[in-house]
Amino acid sequence: MPPDPVLTIDDLRVTVHHGAAEAVRGVSLSVAPGEIVGLVGESGSGKTLTCRAALGVVPAGCDISGGSVSFLGEDLGCLSGKEWERLHGSGIGAVFQDPASYLNPVLTVGSQLTEALRVKKRLSRRAARERAIELMGAVGLREPARVYHQIPAELSGGMLQRVMIAIAISGDPRLLIADEATSALDVTIQAEILTLLLRLRDERGLAVLFVSHDLAVIRELCDSVAVFYAGEIVESGPVDEIIARPRHPYTQGLLRVASAGDLGRRALEVIPGQPPAVGAPIAGCRFADRCPVAADACRAGEIASSEIRAGHTVRCIRAHDAELVAS
Amino acid sequence: MTALRDAPAPLLEVTSLDVVLGHGWRAHRVLSGVDLAIWPGQIVGLVGETGSGKTTLARAIVGLVKPRAGHIAVAGTDVSRLGRRALRAHRRAGHVQLVFQDPLRSLDPDLTVAGIVAEGLVIRGGRPAAEIRSRVVAALSQVGLDEALLSRTPGQISGGQRQRVSIARALAVVPRLLICDEPVSALDASNRNYVLRLLDELRTSLGLPIVIISHDLSSLAGIADRVAVMYRGEIVEDGPASQVFTAPAHPYTQRLIASAPSLSKPRLSRRDRKDQ
Repeated sequence: MPPDPVLTIDDLRVTVHHGAAEAVRGVSLSVAPGEIVGLVGESGSGKTLTCRAALGVVPAGCDISGGSVSFLGEDLGCLSGKEWERLHGSGIGAVFQDPASYLNPVLTVGSQLTEALRVKKRLSRRAARERAIELMGAVGLREPARVYHQIPAELSGGMLQRVMIAIAISGDPRLLIADEATSALDVTIQAEILTLLLRLRDERGLAVLFVSHDLAVIRELCDSVAVFYAGEIVESGPVDEIIARPRHPYTQGLLRVASAGDLGRRALEVIPGQPPAVGAPIAGCRFADRCPVAADACRAGEIASSEIRAGHTVRCIRAHDAELVAS
Repeated sequence: MTALRDAPAPLLEVTSLDVVLGHGWRAHRVLSGVDLAIWPGQIVGLVGETGSGKTTLARAIVGLVKPRAGHIAVAGTDVSRLGRRALRAHRRAGHVQLVFQDPLRSLDPDLTVAGIVAEGLVIRGGRPAAEIRSRVVAALSQVGLDEALLSRTPGQISGGQRQRVSIARALAVVPRLLICDEPVSALDASNRNYVLRLLDELRTSLGLPIVIISHDLSSLAGIADRVAVMYRGEIVEDGPASQVFTAPAHPYTQRLIASAPSLSKPRLSRRDRKDQ
C-alpha cells in the first residue's frame, strides 16, 4: 500500500489572457512523500503554470478554470489568503531559476533566512539566528557563520541557490517545488545542487516537484517523470522506464535531441516544426503536426491517456504499435 | 584538423593576454596569460564556469575591454595597440561579431527584424537603402528565416527565431570571426540543436571561424573542432574536442565532464553521493 500522496493534482485546467486560451489542459499527477517527480517539456508547455497553481500563485490574467489541487488531502482551491500563508510557511517550499531576483540585495542572506524562520517557525530572534546558521550548514554552505553576514552580491550563483533552498526548507515543508532551479547554474554546481536535493529527500522524506527542460537532468534526480506538450501530459511513468522505452513520439523526439551526455561527435537532430500556439483549437492530438507517424485517426478527436504498463501512461493512439516501439 | 592548423596564419591570435578590471583596491585580474589562436573554418568551444573569464576574453577580442598586457591580433591587426579612434573604426568595421545568450535582452524590442539586421550596415554608412535591404534579406536566408519576418518585432517571433535573427544581424556585416556567447543556453533542446546545426553550416559554407562560449560541454560535443577550457582566468586545457572530451588532462576538465548530466551514465543517486 503506497503512502498517501503529498500533492495530488487532478484534471487541472488553467486559462491565460483572462480566459481567452487554455494553457494547462487537464493535468493530473501526484507526488508521494520522499518522491521526486520531474516535469519536462518545451517552454510554454504548461509545466510552470502547473507548479504555480500548486503554489496558489498563478500570474495575473491566469485563472484556474477547472480541476483540483490538494495537499495532504486538503483541497487548495478554497483556501483563504491567510491559509495560503500558513501553507507557504510550513507545507510547501519553492525554489526558482534565478535566486538573485528573489533575495533582497541590500540585506545579508543570514538576516533574510532569519526573517523567514521568525515568520514561519515563530522563533525568537536568537533561536532563529542559530537555526539559520544550522540550516545554512545543512544545505552545504561552507563557513555558514561567515556567509550569514554576506549580501547576495558577494555570493556565487550556486551559493545563492543554496540560500534559497535553505529559506524554502526553513519551515520544514513536506513538499519542495523547484522550477528550473538548476538551469542557470554551471554544470559542476548543478551536480552539487542535485546531490543536495537527493540528500534532503533521504534525510527529511521531502517530496520534490522538479521542473526542467533537460531530460538528462531529470534522469539524474527524479523517480518518475511527466512529459508536457502544449498544456497536456503526453507521457508519464518511472524515469528509467520512460527513458529506456519511450512510447510517445514527442518523448522519443526529446530523447533524440537531448544532451545525451556521451560527448562524442553526433548528429544534431531537431524536432521539426513548432509547438502550437497556446490554446490553439486543435482536434485530436496536439503533437500530430510534428509527429513522424501521425495518422488520420490522430486528428479525429480527443486522445485519451492509457496505461500501457503499471504506472506508465501514454497519450497516443499508436502507443501499442510495433513500429513506434522500434523507432 | 591538421589541415586547418597548417593553414598559413591564424585569423585570431591572442598571446599572453592579461586583463585587469576595476581600479585601485578593487582591481581584479580577470585574465592572465591567455593564449588562443583560431584558424579560418574552425569552430572552437570555450568552456568554463561563471566568472572564469570567457566573456571578458570575448569582449577583449572585440575591443570592448582594454588589456593590461599581451596582444590580440585579428587578421594581422593588433587590436590591443590601436588608439581610440582606430579602435572605434575597427569595431565599426565589424570584423568580429558577437552573438549573446538571451536574444530577448540583446535585441531592441522596438525595432523590427529588418531594422535590427540592418543596423550594423546603417551605422557603417555609405550604402543605398536598396542595397542594405537586399543584404538584410540575404542574411536572413543564411539563417533559414523567411522575408515575411522582416516587419515583426522580437516579441512577435519565437525564441529560436530570435536567436537566428541575432546571428543574421552578425552576418549582415560580413564578419571575419563570429563569437557566440552562450548562444543556446536559453533554448530548449530542439531549438538548441537547430542553432548549433546552423552555426556548423555557416562554418562550412562561409569558411567562417566561430568561437562558441558555453558552460555546458554537451552542447559543444556536436560541432566543436577544438575545445579550450578556462578556469579562473586561465586556459587550462586546449585541444581537439574528441581528445578533451574523452581524455581530459586537467582536473577541472575532468570534473566538468563528470558533472555533465547524462542519459547513459550511472545516475547521481547511484553514484557515490557526497556533498562537495
